Amino acid sequence: MNIFVCVKRVPDTSEAIVKVDSSGRGVDSSKFSFDINESDNYAVEEAMLIKEAKGGNVRVVCAGTQDADVMIRMALAKGGNSAIRIDDPRINVIDPLQVAKVLAAAIKGKEFDLVLTGCMANDDGNMAVGVALAEELGVPHAAMVKKVEVETGMVKVYRELEGGLSEVVEMELPAVITIQTGINEPRYAPIRGIREAQKKELAVVKLEDLGLAPEAVGEGASLITLENFYIPKVESKAEILEGEPDQKAVTLAEKLVKGGLL
Amino acid sequence: MNTELLTAELQDFIQKHDLYGCIQCGRCTGGCPVTVRTNLNVRRFVYNSLDQSMRDDLAKLPEIWDCTACNTCAVRCPKGLKPVEVLMGLRNILVVEQGTVQTTVRDALESVFLEGNPWSKPRKTRSDWMEGLDVKIAEPGEKVENLIFVCCTVAYDPRVQVLAKNLADLLNKAGVDYGFIGESEACCASEVHHLGEEDLFLEMVESNTELLNEYVADRIVTISPHCFSSFKNQYPAVKAKVIHYTQLIAELLEAKKLIFNKEYPHKIVFHDPCFLGKQNGIYAEPRTILGHIPGAEVVEFERRRERSLCCEGGGGKMWVESESKKERLAETRARDAGALGASILAVACPFCVLTLDDAIKAKGLEEQLRVAELLEIIGALVD
Repeated sequence: MNIFVCVKRVPDTSEAIVKVDSSGRGVDSSKFSFDINESDNYAVEEAMLIKEAKGGNVRVVCAGTQDADVMIRMALAKGGNSAIRIDDPRINVIDPLQVAKVLAAAIKGKEFDLVLTGCMANDDGNMAVGVALAEELGVPHAAMVKKVEVETGMVKVYRELEGGLSEVVEMELPAVITIQTGINEPRYAPIRGIREAQKKELAVVKLEDLGLAPEAVGEGASLITLENFYIPKVESKAEILEGEPDQKAVTLAEKLVKGGLL
Repeated sequence: MNTELLTAELQDFIQKHDLYGCIQCGRCTGGCPVTVRTNLNVRRFVYNSLDQSMRDDLAKLPEIWDCTACNTCAVRCPKGLKPVEVLMGLRNILVVEQGTVQTTVRDALESVFLEGNPWSKPRKTRSDWMEGLDVKIAEPGEKVENLIFVCCTVAYDPRVQVLAKNLADLLNKAGVDYGFIGESEACCASEVHHLGEEDLFLEMVESNTELLNEYVADRIVTISPHCFSSFKNQYPAVKAKVIHYTQLIAELLEAKKLIFNKEYPHKIVFHDPCFLGKQNGIYAEPRTILGHIPGAEVVEFERRRERSLCCEGGGGKMWVESESKKERLAETRARDAGALGASILAVACPFCVLTLDDAIKAKGLEEQLRVAELLEIIGALVD
């Protein structure tokens, strides 16, 4: 099995105080800690489990700055064979479609059976890169996967749906799977392994190295524009709707229309 | 035993821990405090470590994680062996190296690697507790008599941040020449060693030694006995002398540079932290401090000093839950303190604060008894 696994370095904002920075278009990250994105960590583990069961190799892909190298080395220490990091400030990283294009360009032209990604990034929460990546690569995908069974030429995956349902999907390989947390138990990367992983290939490339025109993945090509960040005001106003459910639904719909929300 | 059959690695292990020196007398198991609640048998671990195939099975025994590194076994060993270190070595070889550690242990170790503390907190917020306080920061290359090392738990846990705040305040009042390290301080890695990740431990020893030696300090004063024990015993290249804050405070009291001038009318019982007492023989200084507290009645546990009961906070146990459902040793300790009629269970270690706090709640003793670190008590006794 030839597996690619995509990882992202994200801030841990679970307990941090989040403040908008002076530009208004970013977040003050000076007091944050950073780690591999949570579901990407599970994707890395799943890649290693498949490799251990079926043989083959795992390549780590990351679009990010040098700060991400420590997370990439940790993935390599767990059993990854090599890595490629696309380090280019011209990528419009807030747009998942552009990021998907960049990751796809790093994978295209190489043999692959599976591409694993986390199902969601902890920072922007778009849940879009993995799915868009499948589109860019022209292969089938399954998102929010909690169990993977690789068979000859195909893969059977169990998707977690709303309401606790599980959907079983069979796909031909190659395919993209976005991994949900809890699918496995990510292993520990001992420091000795991280040190040994320094010897493994970590290629750092620019857009041109991937044959991508910068304008194709830059801000200009994006349908998304980041205007500004703001912390929503805390308000305590609440209105309880009275009446039968049918009546309440009508009142609610009217209020939403009136308020310009629909 | 035919040593030719042993791998070089096992021979090194045997030599490092002097396993042939063990006479299987049973002094270690006879003193081990956790045997009352778990299957841990130190003697078996030492004996079976001599045999390659048996040794490989040892790490699979869940009780390998029950050791709290309290050091009782080493204190009692008539041959001067350190059975506790055999357990730590086994954790290293057989558990961590295979990557099969509990998730809590994994997260603690990764956090030390990435952020320099085991609590998954940002490196950059390590000094946030100082905000708005008069805390002196030491400068590398400049002379300072007492370089204060805070400890990760004290720096980040709101329950024990008061220890660092009170120490700074007391040192200001006593006119002591001191300086804190600040944001560049990183984990002493004592618990990394006890969780069996020796390579990470050695890396931290190297970077911390470099950091500490940048300062021109007469001595390094630690707040936690765990940092104290680690710097004192496992950092051979650190230039400055290492002491625990209880030694500094006792010295200031005896020199009358610090005078407690407020009453503290409580019945206090002192719990000896293992890493201060059994690991390093510091028993007198905390009692000297207690002896200076006006209005206090100080009583002693029956199990005290070398025989003190461990609170189970050391040896990496902050991140490992024991399989045993029997009463925790910290709960036994809380019960004993209650039976003595004490209203204050005094300790000199942040881990002891956390484990005994929980134990008092678990035993429903909150109405009559509370845990107080010595710095919490004495911080309010000086004008």
